[in-house]
Amino acid sequence: MSVAAPDKLGDSLITVEHLTMRFGGLVAIDDVSFQGANREITAIIGPNGAGKTTLFNCLTGFYKPTVGRLTLHHPRKGDFLLERMEGYQIPQRAGVARTFQNIRLFPAMSVLENLIVAQHNALMRASGYSVAGLLGLRGYRQAERQAVELARFWMDRTGLTDRADIDAGNLPYGDQRRLEIARAMCTNPVLLCLDEPAAGLNPRESSDLNALLRYIRDEHSIGILLIEHDMSVVMEISDHIIVLDYGRRIAAGTPEEIRNNPDVIRAYLGENEDEPLPPEVVRDMEEER
Amino acid sequence: MTERSATTSPVLPPLDAVGIVREAGLTAFVVFALTFSLVGFKVEDVPGGLDIVTRFDQVLAATVLAFTGRVVLILLHKRRHLPVILVGLAIAAVILGLVVAARGAPESATAAWLPFESVVVNVLVAVAALVLAGRAAWSAWRRDVGVSDEAVELAARVHKAAIFLGPLMLGFAVVLPFLPFADRRLLDIAILVVTYVMLGWGLNIVVGLAGLLDLGYVAFYAVGAYSYALLAINFDLGFWVCLPFAGIMAAFAGILLGFPVLRLRGDYLAIVTLGFGEMIRVILLNWYEFTKGPDGISGIPRPTLFGLPFTRTDPDGGETFHSFFGLTYSPLDRIIFLYYLILILALVTNFFTMRIRRLPIGRAWEALREDEVACRSIGINPRNTKLTAFSIGAMFGGFGGSFFATRQGFISPESFTFIESAIILAIVVLGGMGSQIGVVFAAILLIGLPEFFRELQQYRMLAFGAAMVAIMVWRPRGLLAFRDPTIRLSDHDTAPEKQT
Repeated sequence: MSVAAPDKLGDSLITVEHLTMRFGGLVAIDDVSFQGANREITAIIGPNGAGKTTLFNCLTGFYKPTVGRLTLHHPRKGDFLLERMEGYQIPQRAGVARTFQNIRLFPAMSVLENLIVAQHNALMRASGYSVAGLLGLRGYRQAERQAVELARFWMDRTGLTDRADIDAGNLPYGDQRRLEIARAMCTNPVLLCLDEPAAGLNPRESSDLNALLRYIRDEHSIGILLIEHDMSVVMEISDHIIVLDYGRRIAAGTPEEIRNNPDVIRAYLGENEDEPLPPEVVRDMEEER
Repeated sequence: MTERSATTSPVLPPLDAVGIVREAGLTAFVVFALTFSLVGFKVEDVPGGLDIVTRFDQVLAATVLAFTGRVVLILLHKRRHLPVILVGLAIAAVILGLVVAARGAPESATAAWLPFESVVVNVLVAVAALVLAGRAAWSAWRRDVGVSDEAVELAARVHKAAIFLGPLMLGFAVVLPFLPFADRRLLDIAILVVTYVMLGWGLNIVVGLAGLLDLGYVAFYAVGAYSYALLAINFDLGFWVCLPFAGIMAAFAGILLGFPVLRLRGDYLAIVTLGFGEMIRVILLNWYEFTKGPDGISGIPRPTLFGLPFTRTDPDGGETFHSFFGLTYSPLDRIIFLYYLILILALVTNFFTMRIRRLPIGRAWEALREDEVACRSIGINPRNTKLTAFSIGAMFGGFGGSFFATRQGFISPESFTFIESAIILAIVVLGGMGSQIGVVFAAILLIGLPEFFRELQQYRMLAFGAAMVAIMVWRPRGLLAFRDPTIRLSDHDTAPEKQT
């Protein structure tokens, strides 16, 4: 299957080259390469256990890849080699934000606090590493006000303004999903990695999510990487799709191309049933009998 | 759910009398089995040896009280408030009446009617009965509130009230030495309580805010105490010069502990910090040339007020506190000064904590407690954040330690055993993690009451344990587990239509 790679190098945002991740003998990701572009939504799909979340964990520094190079082309700060950076530096300096498959908020903190904490590094500098903040200097108060404004902007966008002072853990599921996206956006990223953002959402919430993601892509001109099982989301909003199966990239292309790709269909629906079983399996079965 | 529906409909479900009697009987049997040997027989010193005295009347009283108490608790749970109030008040009134009537005449006929020998135990039973009655009255008054909501609501109320309660308690703390009943014993207890309040507030930064379970906090207390003692003795420095040094040393020890435990969480962190606490103690014990080992360090200089000592005469012939201010010498002056010293140190700790909670670093601590993985995903450096929590918490422990050294005048490794760490941690946990005012209540409860209950003799620690169990049963998240957001949108709201 020769599918054209997304070769718009001009505004490429993330380049993944020969990424391999092994856990002992298990190869979770096997020589995967792709590019994600700025102002595009790149979806990564594949059956369970295909290595999608592992790929995200490599990108965001939670795992160190066994082999491979991950380059982030920051529009303003130049290139970052993500595989060489500490986990926390990737969001801090390279501007890669992520959400998690099983939501990870700060449950005992309020919605607003969740969004303020996300601006930790900027506020930390403004507070003079706490010294100016302890003294209550004006510069810090100003910075905090700006942080609240940014938080409020994203709360307005995600419809959480009315619940700003509620504990994040007490929010309904759909709100928690949106809050996690808002929190990621408050770190001012250039690349947003969303791990199954539509999981557990009802159709209406899903379509709201689509609108939100489109808005983020178009108005904030950042790239989005998206892991998703919900094909209505994937096919509708993705500009580009990469299909993983057993850790390998089996296809890449536009939604239309992926939909008709026989490899993808086989990966999702299984092998042809008429194919004869391997001879050793047949022998085993007969011995059993 | 069933409780809620029961409140909405006026008809309560009928009571299962047999079941209640069976359950109460079981409780009474357990109490009987426990008290039969523990209370029923008492070994007494008599001339010519030991004698066994039987006290089966008290066993009977305990069993009957347990039976009644269990029935009352069931009734409270089934929302039969009136009988609970009546029984509670009746028991309390009878016991308190008898206690008052028998006062000063322990051998009289009235005293024989009291359920227990000890006055304190009798009063405690009466107080428990009153608490039950009050609780019943409270839930009868607030019919719509479920039992579990009450705890949270109470904590929220206390925290709202803290705006007034805080200054009120502070005012009381400030005038305490000048109140008519403030004698030497009360002030000593007060100093002890405030010391633990300060240590609790310091540990609260590590455990309550950053969520790092530290079982070796006493190590920093020890580092602070020894820093002050050694600096003062070897270099002849005063308390106020040494105080910052002691804090810095302890903070440094905090970083030293922090580095190896950066990757550990929960139980594992607790074990390593426990080991660290013991290590410091063992080092102090064995490094004889430096710390004088088990002999301890004595003759630690007492604090002075801007160079004015609190002695009758200054050995160097200078002014003393009382001569400078033209007062008559009183040994209580020094105690009062120590009391204010620790009060100020504690208030500084509190002010600092309240302030830093609203700064990015404080929010990052809390975020770290909530979810470390999420913290990394938004670019918070977990290493620096943890180390600052450890070192700042340790710094306040060090301040507390140097106060301890100057108050005692003598320190030895024996003062810094694991039990101290455990008590400080218990204060933080029982107070409600992260709750500043909860720490105060817990310190009063855990440090103050055992001192007052010395009359209970060998049952003192039993009462202490019972109080802790009771808190864990009724307030599993601490006395006042309530968290106020560090920032509210409404505070920053410029648009008036947004009211939440």
